[in-house]
This record gives sequence, structure tokens and C-alpha cells, in this order.
Amino acid sequence: MNATIQWPKAVNEIPKAIFTDAALYEREIETIFHGAQWHPLAHRAEIPNRGDFKTMLLGRMPVIVANGEDGRIRVFFNSCTHRGNQVETASCGNRKAFECPYHRWMFRTTGELAGCPGTDEFSPGFDKKNYGLRELRTAEYCGLIFATASADTPPLETWIGGVAETLAGALGGDGRLKLLGYQKVRYASNWKAYSDNDGYHAPLLHVGFRLLGWQGGQGSQKPTANGHLGFESQLKPVVNRDFLKDPSLIDLKATDPESGSRIAQLFPHTVITKHMDVINVRFATPVSVDCTEVHYAYFSHVDDSEELVRHRIRQSSNLLGPCGMVSMEDASIFNRIHIGSFTPGNAEFQKGVKRTDEVWFDVKQNDESGNLPKWDYYSRLMGFKRSEEA
Amino acid sequence: MLKLDEASLVLVDNLQRRYIEALDRRDMELWLDCFTQDAASSYFCISAENVERGLDIALMYDDCRARLIDRVTFITKVWAGTFQPYRMRHLVQRIGTPTLEHGKLNVVSNFSIATTPKGGGSSLLAVGYYEDTVALDRGEPRFLCKRAVYDTTVLPRYIVYPF
Repeated sequence: MNATIQWPKAVNEIPKAIFTDAALYEREIETIFHGAQWHPLAHRAEIPNRGDFKTMLLGRMPVIVANGEDGRIRVFFNSCTHRGNQVETASCGNRKAFECPYHRWMFRTTGELAGCPGTDEFSPGFDKKNYGLRELRTAEYCGLIFATASADTPPLETWIGGVAETLAGALGGDGRLKLLGYQKVRYASNWKAYSDNDGYHAPLLHVGFRLLGWQGGQGSQKPTANGHLGFESQLKPVVNRDFLKDPSLIDLKATDPESGSRIAQLFPHTVITKHMDVINVRFATPVSVDCTEVHYAYFSHVDDSEELVRHRIRQSSNLLGPCGMVSMEDASIFNRIHIGSFTPGNAEFQKGVKRTDEVWFDVKQNDESGNLPKWDYYSRLMGFKRSEEA
Repeated sequence: MLKLDEASLVLVDNLQRRYIEALDRRDMELWLDCFTQDAASSYFCISAENVERGLDIALMYDDCRARLIDRVTFITKVWAGTFQPYRMRHLVQRIGTPTLEHGKLNVVSNFSIATTPKGGGSSLLAVGYYEDTVALDRGEPRFLCKRAVYDTTVLPRYIVYPF
């Protein structure tokens, strides 16, 4: 196991090979994506009505997130309990029931098998009650619907732990949201490079921040021992508004000016962010070792005025997505990390690194050392042993 | 005044050719010059999936001329040197029946954009349709509104240039 990849002794180094190794990717799917972690699959606002559903992948497993006829949201494997056929092919919609077209087995939106033709000639002891869609463990936080394929995953609140407050803040405080729409894209990058952005890069890579005289106010980073990372920072008003012909795009209109930016990065690779007036959940799927698919879902708050909703739509569309004013460059970097990672050796973290023998949790706003607890957690989860030699 | 006649449609097709030539050359000033100087001049690039669900989030949402200018500034100045350049080749075909409204022509065209990264093979970047409102501006037809609706549910890469 991991015979060819040696994890370095210093905690601020990671082997570049972990981004490109196809066998490791397969183990990650089993250990992390099909394993004892919670994975956000939808926000309640995407499927607000009874019968609404959304299909997703959990790792490689197709699932249906369904708002049942009883108003409860459940997550099912998207596979008929008869011959395993994919039940639902649409990415979203509203159904009175889910029907597998192969032999017309019909499932209620609560998962129960409602009907299947020809039961008279089924095997002895066949009981419809045992053939409902297979349900995954599901839990909800501020409207965000999580599922896990493992019985060993700790309760959701324990798992979220120290980033709970940042996550709630990013989801409008109480999670009472309304869906505004999606931007969907694939990045030519391993999922770990996609989700490894740091506090050091923001003012350097994103020239837009600098040109706008927009360095941000006081902020903090809070890593957790199980691989999450919460960022919070105040956003000062933009100094150099004249740089834009239409500065109204970057107005801050909602009622959260104290902390303009809140980012919850949940292990393994979901980002939930509230930046200016943008409320954004980035649902990610590790498609292959070198491809990560991201669905940027944008929201308004149910209490917003019509004017604020319009503002959120134009700001969300232009600011933080796959061609956003201060995010397009991130997408370019994901790809370049991937290409560069085919070279030998380790990638290093330097900014804010106080020691190299163990990880710590006291991190400043623009440090990149906030990523190290996650890497330490990942290496242990995947069974890597640190090298004895520096 | 634009009319519903062959001569006007030839002018509109010329505008469409200028537009895709500007993008294929990645000449953003030329791209901007395809829009009228009206303050309400606009460009939207939005997924068909959002349109079909009645969702307003777009990939690019430039609802006024000032936003068009800001997009050019970001592509040519702010992002310079941070993205890998990619070549584009647009193919456009006007479809349907144009309509005339207060001297402006509404036309719909299919588009297909192939992309070629430096040193790489070609692939499809996006396909979809343009919904355009064309008006006379400085003696020539220009877009008062251009809306690119793309079928490509999941885009194959990050996007720098408009469709």
C-alpha cells in the first residue's frame, strides 16, 4: 500500500504524486467518498416542494435526493432494487413517483416500492416491503443535506465541529434560502488540488483585489482536526471604485457587513461561501484522478427584498464562478498544479509555518499553514506513514 | 431603420461575422464595438438548464454597457498572465424567422465553439443559440442585446472569453 509514494517527515510538505496517482484515486473513492465522511449533496432550497428531486453522484455511486410526499428529504441509491437499473435519469425535476422503465417497478417519493407487475410468479416469500429504494444515512444542517454511505460516520454535528458557526453564517445564518441558479464546470485537476486553496494567495493571485484597493479587513482561519477549514474576514468598502465603470456590481447590500466573507471548506472538497452578497455552495464530484466537476449553486435569502435578489443575481453571476472577476484565476491554478505535479518531489507550504514536526491550529488570516491540519488528517486517513528522515 | 428585408438581414449577418471574428481573434475592443453605445446595451451568457428552470444566474451577466466595458478591462488587464490562452473557432448559423420591433431586428442563431489549447488537440467548448436584438448605431447594425444560451450543461473548462 502506497509503496511508491513516501510521505515526507516535515508537516509542511506533501508528495506531488498524490495528485496524479490513479491507484491512490481509486482508494480515495472507497476510503473517503464511499467511507465514513458526510457529503453535502443538495440544499433544501434546490428541492423545496414535495416530489422535487435532484440526482447526484456520491463518489461514484448515483443517488437521488428526494423531497418525499411526506415532506421529508431522503437520499436513495439511484438503482432499482430489482435488477439494479438506474431509476431516474433527469438531473432534477418533480415526480409523483419514480418508475424504473425496465420492468415498470414503481417507487413512491418516500422510497417504498408501490408496485411491480407479475408478483404472482415471484420467488416464494417475496415481500414488497423489503424492496424500497435503498436509503442512505442522511442529516441536515442549515438546509444543507448531507449523506454518508457508512454506518461509522460520527453524527453530523460532531463531524462539522468547529466550522459550524462559519457554515451557518455562509448559509445566511439560518439556511432559509431560495435557489437562484447554477454554473457547472469541469476542472482538469485532481479533487485535492481543487480544494487546497489557501489564505496566502488571495491578495497576490487576484489582481482584481489589488486594483480595487480591496485588501479586506480583519479576519481569521480556523482549521479542524478532521480536515475542515473555516475562514472569516471583514470586507472593507472598496477604495478604488473608479477602476470599474459599474461599481454597483461590488456593492455590499445585505445585512452582514461585519463579516463580509465567510468560507467553510468541508472535508473532503465542498466549499460553502458567502462573499459580499453572494451565497454559494460548490458541490464537487471527483470524476477521475485528473478531473473534478463542480456545480456552483447560488442562493438568495427568503427575507430578501426584490431589489436585493436582483443585486445578488448580478453579483453572483459575475464575481465568484468559473469566469468570475476574482475567481477565474483560481480555476487556472487548479489546472497548473495538476500539470506541475507530474514532476518528482514534494510541494511545500511556507507562509505561517512555525514548526515542521507537528501541526497546529492557531493560524493567521493570510497564512497557508491553515491547510496543514487537513493534509495531516488526509495522510493518516489514507494510511500513509511519515518518513523517518527529513 | 432596419427592416424585415434581405438587405437588412445581410447587414445583420455581417455583424454576426464581425462578432465571431472578434472573439476568434480574442480582440475584446472589437468585441465591444459590436454593441451599441446605448447605456442599456447588454450581453448575457447563460445555461439552457437555468433558462428552462426559470433561474436567472448566468455565467456572464452584463446588463448595461458599463458592465461590457468592465468585462473587457478584466480580460485584457486584470487577468492578463493568469490564464492559459486558448484558441476559439465559432461557427454560427442564423435560424428561425427574424422579427421587427420598433426598427430593431430580433434574430436567433445557433452557435458552436471549438477550442484548442496551446499545444493541444481541438474539442468542443460549447454549443447553443444566440438571441440577439440588433439596432442601428453610428450608421451600422450593432447588438443592443446579445444573449448566448448554451446547451453544454457542464462546461469542459474555466471560461475567460464570452461566447
